[in-house]
Amino acid sequence: MIAQVVLNGFITGMIIALPAIALTLTYGILKFPNFAIGAMLTAGAYLAFICNSILQLPLLLSAAIAAVGLAATVVIVDRLVFSPLRERTTITLLVASMGVSFVLENMARFAFGNSARSFEAPIVRSMHIMGLRINFEQIVTAATALAGMLAVYVILRHTPLGRAMRAVADNPALAAVRGIDRERIVRWMWVIVGVLTAAAGVLAGLDRAIDPLLGWNYVVTVFAAAILGGLGNPLGAVLGALTLGVVEETSTLVIPPNYRQVVSFFAIAILLLLRPQGLLGTVRVKK
Amino acid sequence: MTQPMPVLSVQAVAAGYGGGDIISGISIDVIPGEIFTVIGPNGSGKSTLIKVLAGLVRARVGEIRLGPSRITPLSAPQRVASGLAYVPQEFNVFPNMTIGENLRVSTEFLGRERRASAEQRDRVLSMFPEIGGRLGLRAGLLSGGQRQMLAFASAMMAEPKVLLLDEPSAGLSPKFVGEIFDKIKAVNGTGVTVFMIEQNVKEALRIADRVVVLVNGSIRLLTTPGDIGVKHDLHKLYLG
Repeated sequence: MIAQVVLNGFITGMIIALPAIALTLTYGILKFPNFAIGAMLTAGAYLAFICNSILQLPLLLSAAIAAVGLAATVVIVDRLVFSPLRERTTITLLVASMGVSFVLENMARFAFGNSARSFEAPIVRSMHIMGLRINFEQIVTAATALAGMLAVYVILRHTPLGRAMRAVADNPALAAVRGIDRERIVRWMWVIVGVLTAAAGVLAGLDRAIDPLLGWNYVVTVFAAAILGGLGNPLGAVLGALTLGVVEETSTLVIPPNYRQVVSFFAIAILLLLRPQGLLGTVRVKK
Repeated sequence: MTQPMPVLSVQAVAAGYGGGDIISGISIDVIPGEIFTVIGPNGSGKSTLIKVLAGLVRARVGEIRLGPSRITPLSAPQRVASGLAYVPQEFNVFPNMTIGENLRVSTEFLGRERRASAEQRDRVLSMFPEIGGRLGLRAGLLSGGQRQMLAFASAMMAEPKVLLLDEPSAGLSPKFVGEIFDKIKAVNGTGVTVFMIEQNVKEALRIADRVVVLVNGSIRLLTTPGDIGVKHDLHKLYLG
């Protein structure tokens, strides 16, 4: 029973990990917590839903189109909303991201109403391995999330784009005088954020029904995971997400499932008291 | 005898932060191959001047040229691609990256061919053997002097025509100060023009070809190092 709950928690953690990486990348490079991450996830789910359930395309192709579509959307949103506010304070950008969140969420509501939707995914019998029930959606989730995490790791560690992203996140002025065009890097960052959140939207849509509040259900946990790992640290975001996924899921053994997000709030509160920089974060000294 | 065309020309530049100007009426012509040094008391506008040249602070009026090209409207990354590299006084390496990554990231977005970048890296490492054997080491683990060497080397990856140095000896132990200035002289010996601002007047004058004294945001004197202390009293110049 406990092993099954832990496994389910890991899978939930993997869904959370993708937007948590996206959130931490945005924070690292643009220095603001993107509150619209949940609404972006919802938008990704609906884009895939349009392709899959309305246009009758296979789910994998729908997810790929949603990833491209959401990447383009968030690049445009950045151009229209965040770019003009680039040099403003973190709070200004946070509030702007709240505005983006409301717009995206209500666009989904206007187009599809409040009723729950679902993908047309094949129904596959669950497998039983060592007493654990593993269903097809969980395998897809694990494979997609691991591929996403691996891709981000490879990009950040082994590509010119990744090195430039790390440079801009570390010291934007120094990056500029090393020939790195920050705006170009920011555009690529949004593309990665779009792809990751669209993938998370599809996985979340497989895990539960698609509705305009789909992403909102994950926002607190995604923020908690990113903060738990150390904002700005992608590896920390993955660690935070997996930890919270398992802790939230196992908490349902002792508290009603509706209250499991309380665990995320407690995790943030306790961590901020004991280790404000997060699990893998570093203390920044301001001169 | 005709003067060679300046490699870096600053004409009537004024700049500052917020409302007021920190520097004004700055006109300088830097000759190819020279070490041009700006000295002056704290708050004289030296750092603002070099940031204006690097493209980190916008010139409110005036014009800056790199060779025949007008670079005033160019951003900092565009200026690097044009041949102007800048080494900031502090926070001048990426501490979470390795030495090798610091060097690579300094050339990857300049539109150079990979082979040309690799050849430049070999040239730079031969100029800075202190860091060559430790490319996998995280830059944050280096000492102040070693960091400064890495910062120079990273800037040199861009194959600059002009190297801008912001107080290269600041915060270094006396043991390293002479070494750093010798290295600047060696870099200059490869044909790179050096524009440097410096507080350590004695060392700066040792290697400089020409020197400007900047006081209260304006040029007080343009002369040769030999004339400082002979024809001109630095204390009087600083105090006005």
